[in-house]
Amino acid sequence: MSDKNMEKTSRRAELIHNLASEIVGSAGTIVEYDDPQGTAEIVREVKERLTFETNFLLNETVTRMAPTRPKETKAPEKEGRTFERFGMNFRTQHMLMFLSVITLIITGMPLKFPELAISKFVIINIFGGLQTSTTVHRVGATGLIIVGVWHLLYIMFNRTGRRDFLLMIPRPRDIKDFIHTMLYYIGRKPSGPRFGRFSFIEKFDYWAVYWGMVVMIGSGSIMWFKQFFPKYLYDIGREAHSDEGLLATLAIIVWHFYNVHFNPEVFPMSWVWWHGRLTEEQMKHHHPLEYDGIVRHESKAEFEKKQAVPMEEGGAEEVG
Amino acid sequence: MRLLSNTARFLATGLIALFVLAGSAHALEKCLICHGKKDLYKTEQTGRKVSLYVDTTMLKKSVHASRSCTDCHVDITVIPHHKNPQKVNCRRCHYSGNPVGAPQGELYDQYEHSIHGIEVAKGNPKAPVCQDCHGTHNVIVHTDPASNMYKANIPATCGRCHIDIYATYRESVHGQAIASGNLDAPVCSDCHGEHNIIAPSQPDSKVSPMHVTETCSKCHGPKGVVAKYGIKTDRMATFEESFHGVAQQMQNTMVANCASCHGYHDIRAENDPKSSIYPANIPKTCGKPQCHPEANANFAEGKIHVDPKSESSGAIYYISKGFMVLTVSTLCGLFVLILLDLYRRVRKSNGKKQA
Repeated sequence: MSDKNMEKTSRRAELIHNLASEIVGSAGTIVEYDDPQGTAEIVREVKERLTFETNFLLNETVTRMAPTRPKETKAPEKEGRTFERFGMNFRTQHMLMFLSVITLIITGMPLKFPELAISKFVIINIFGGLQTSTTVHRVGATGLIIVGVWHLLYIMFNRTGRRDFLLMIPRPRDIKDFIHTMLYYIGRKPSGPRFGRFSFIEKFDYWAVYWGMVVMIGSGSIMWFKQFFPKYLYDIGREAHSDEGLLATLAIIVWHFYNVHFNPEVFPMSWVWWHGRLTEEQMKHHHPLEYDGIVRHESKAEFEKKQAVPMEEGGAEEVG
Repeated sequence: MRLLSNTARFLATGLIALFVLAGSAHALEKCLICHGKKDLYKTEQTGRKVSLYVDTTMLKKSVHASRSCTDCHVDITVIPHHKNPQKVNCRRCHYSGNPVGAPQGELYDQYEHSIHGIEVAKGNPKAPVCQDCHGTHNVIVHTDPASNMYKANIPATCGRCHIDIYATYRESVHGQAIASGNLDAPVCSDCHGEHNIIAPSQPDSKVSPMHVTETCSKCHGPKGVVAKYGIKTDRMATFEESFHGVAQQMQNTMVANCASCHGYHDIRAENDPKSSIYPANIPKTCGKPQCHPEANANFAEGKIHVDPKSESSGAIYYISKGFMVLTVSTLCGLFVLILLDLYRRVRKSNGKKQA
């Protein structure tokens, strides 16, 4: 859909909306306009819309929740400039991670709630017994361990990884941003804080996963290789594994799924995990400081480039 | 007997009843001319001497005191009898609707489906029938300490055939408790059942892998009798909490149940060095080839029945509590953030409309 078309549609909708409020305000009196042809058409549309609106109060609520901007499509490249959010390396880490985690949750959660019929169904009917499901759980665990090691290498030896990791470290600014966001949420601030590459929310997500990985892989390894650890460590590991597993699962289902699936802005799913790119508008909206930085860097580079050209020609004083 | 119709049985019993009324006392006296002698015996083909003496004092105490010899030994019609009498068939009287008032319940049907009943039906000469356990001339009420069926006598009764198991059982913590006169301790029938004993390999058996936990928990579970003796009653709950218990709930029969670790006939107290769960023996107990062949001394470094909900579990209790607080607070926080975010979105779209 082209921008021009969009603009036309929204202007028309606005006109209709204004007209509708006017009619309702003047208690049923239809206002006559100079242009009889155009008005007649609009009045008819207004009538239709009024019926529609009075009948569907619920629908109105849904409309409010609807995306305020056009939904992102699968390939934002086609719509102007895009910015890389996650590189191929990082996206592959994420994919391996969610495949592992889904496997681990499916084979692990039933053991936390063995008395439930669904747990028995999953383990007995789908996996055909505990022996298979625990083997599959170890396959998932291997995947997760690979992701963990891979990520550690990534933040140490990859340029982007190293930069992103340093940006992930919490700073005092994050507390300020958090308070700002809360004030904005309750209507005490006109707009939210301007975030850099990683907002405090994203930092929380990252470190939550970091903690989860340490706890789950640590405690899981104790249970897997129990002969090398005293029994009481096994018990501690088992308790931590079980509790952290539940916490992580709930956090993923509640928080991560809200952010990347159920949030009205991205519903049914954000595709950033697949293509890794953000549009210019998304960048400006969600990561304005990063965007500013990129733009500043670019204009500086351009400026230097421009400056460099006359220098080569020996005309530095011309630029000033 | 089974071949006979109910009518025929009815007639037969009627005739017996007439006999009884006619003069049981005389019959007893006559039989005792020979069987009242203590040195009366027969010699079997194997050379074993079998006493044929009938102890009248015991017979008078028995539940069958009012019956005459021929009520049971129906094939004796003349005295002295010329042939060996057949084995007595108890179901001659103990069938439902019998006119002489012999007790009858589902126990007889249970017996027919038990391992003993099945073996008898197959023709196994060693398999027991009623009188092998209940006795012959000495069937007295089971509350009488002289009865074969008196609780403390049951191990010896079963041990007449299962002699090895009886020897093992006598040394176990249960066997010693019974020997010391404690009738709360289990005997054979408490775990295996009575008339309904089936092979442990059968899924329905009370001591099959899937049911043994339930059977042990009658005493060692909540409301168990062992509480009287200061023995913990949370054993079933903590087992179900453990991986073994979870696996059992997932219908895995290979996983350890009570008996896999504690033994069954040879269960001993945990502080008995011969016990399978004595710390020094744990690596061997856990390290059975089909269980944890890699087991070592580390397996004994800690408790087995762990209850995360009990403060006595130490670190595990605090970890469990800590995670509970962490999980609840994190999720509440995240829910609040989501609701606030949605609230902001609604307000924003409202504001846009008004603008």
